[in-house]
Amino acid sequence: MSPPFKTLLVLPAYNEQEALPKTIASLQQLPAGFEILIVNDGSKDRTRAVAEALAQTSLVPCFVLTLPINSGIGVAVQTGYRFAAARNEYRYVIQFDADGQHPAGALPELVACCERGSFDLCVGSRFLGPPNGGFQSTPVRRLGIRFFCWWIRLLSGVRVTDPTSGLRCAGPNAWKRFAEFYPEDYPEPESLFWCARNGLRIVETPVAMLERQGGVSSIRANRAVYYAVKVALAILFDRLRRSESLS
Amino acid sequence: MNAERLMLVGGIGSFLLTLYWVRNRDLREKYAVGWTALAILLLLLGLFPEAIMWFAGSAHLSYAAAVLFVALGLIYIFSFVLTVSLTRQYRNQVRLTQDVSILEERIRRLEQQLHERT
Repeated sequence: MSPPFKTLLVLPAYNEQEALPKTIASLQQLPAGFEILIVNDGSKDRTRAVAEALAQTSLVPCFVLTLPINSGIGVAVQTGYRFAAARNEYRYVIQFDADGQHPAGALPELVACCERGSFDLCVGSRFLGPPNGGFQSTPVRRLGIRFFCWWIRLLSGVRVTDPTSGLRCAGPNAWKRFAEFYPEDYPEPESLFWCARNGLRIVETPVAMLERQGGVSSIRANRAVYYAVKVALAILFDRLRRSESLS
Repeated sequence: MNAERLMLVGGIGSFLLTLYWVRNRDLREKYAVGWTALAILLLLLGLFPEAIMWFAGSAHLSYAAAVLFVALGLIYIFSFVLTVSLTRQYRNQVRLTQDVSILEERIRRLEQQLHERT
């Protein structure tokens, strides 16, 4: 029996030739209805060749898009949303890191969580589980995450625990809008805030994150301050915009 | 070198630079119009320095701080317009990049289907 709806898993990948095989292997047990999209963000290594080879052998339907130039995480993820919009056959679109930090086992629960409560966005939070449940990032990053929690709550009234989490399941109200407008760099807190201020229903579910299996983070130590200031300002600017119609 | 000669040299220099970049297609004609006008203005002011004295007197810009203020204001406006233009260009570039990748994947899939049929 075919599943009632399809879900697209978007994996933005920049120089992830080492981590990608393990990540795709971890997704092979996904139930029917899931499809994978690897967005190769103009990688300089063999990510494209590795991704195309993996797509050929994957048991789960797997597509590969290659951006001709490196465009940043936000553009890569938005390409996935645009791909979903172009195919017009998915109910949910899930963002999933290609570096192996996200557990594949959490994916059905993310979708089920959206389905149960008719939520528009379900975010996998590393801070909702038991205190030592999984990798919880460095102390400096945790400080930044707490700041963004406070900032989002101050400006939208919505309480979240992990606004920088890249593991998130978006329903049609969210991803169809993301296909049109999505922040270019460091997109997670800003896009979450957009959902919050426009009255979309957001929920978090506990997820035990893993340490990355290869590659490097898009947020380098020397860019952390710029990241915090840029995202905080972007959220503030977004607060000043009018509410958007979701029709 | 006095101010008049500096303006003459600046005018000739910016005129030549504009020509060079337009010839190499590094500068669009649309923008070259503005830069050529500026080069001509500099040349004219270098050739007729009394014109700038007349303008400064009539606009009450005869003291240095006021001139600096006007110059900075012009640079600010120009830079602002430039970054707005860059933002628009960037957005267009992103859209095109994404569409290229989606179409490329579609072509590859169609080619594969065609190959499987034959």
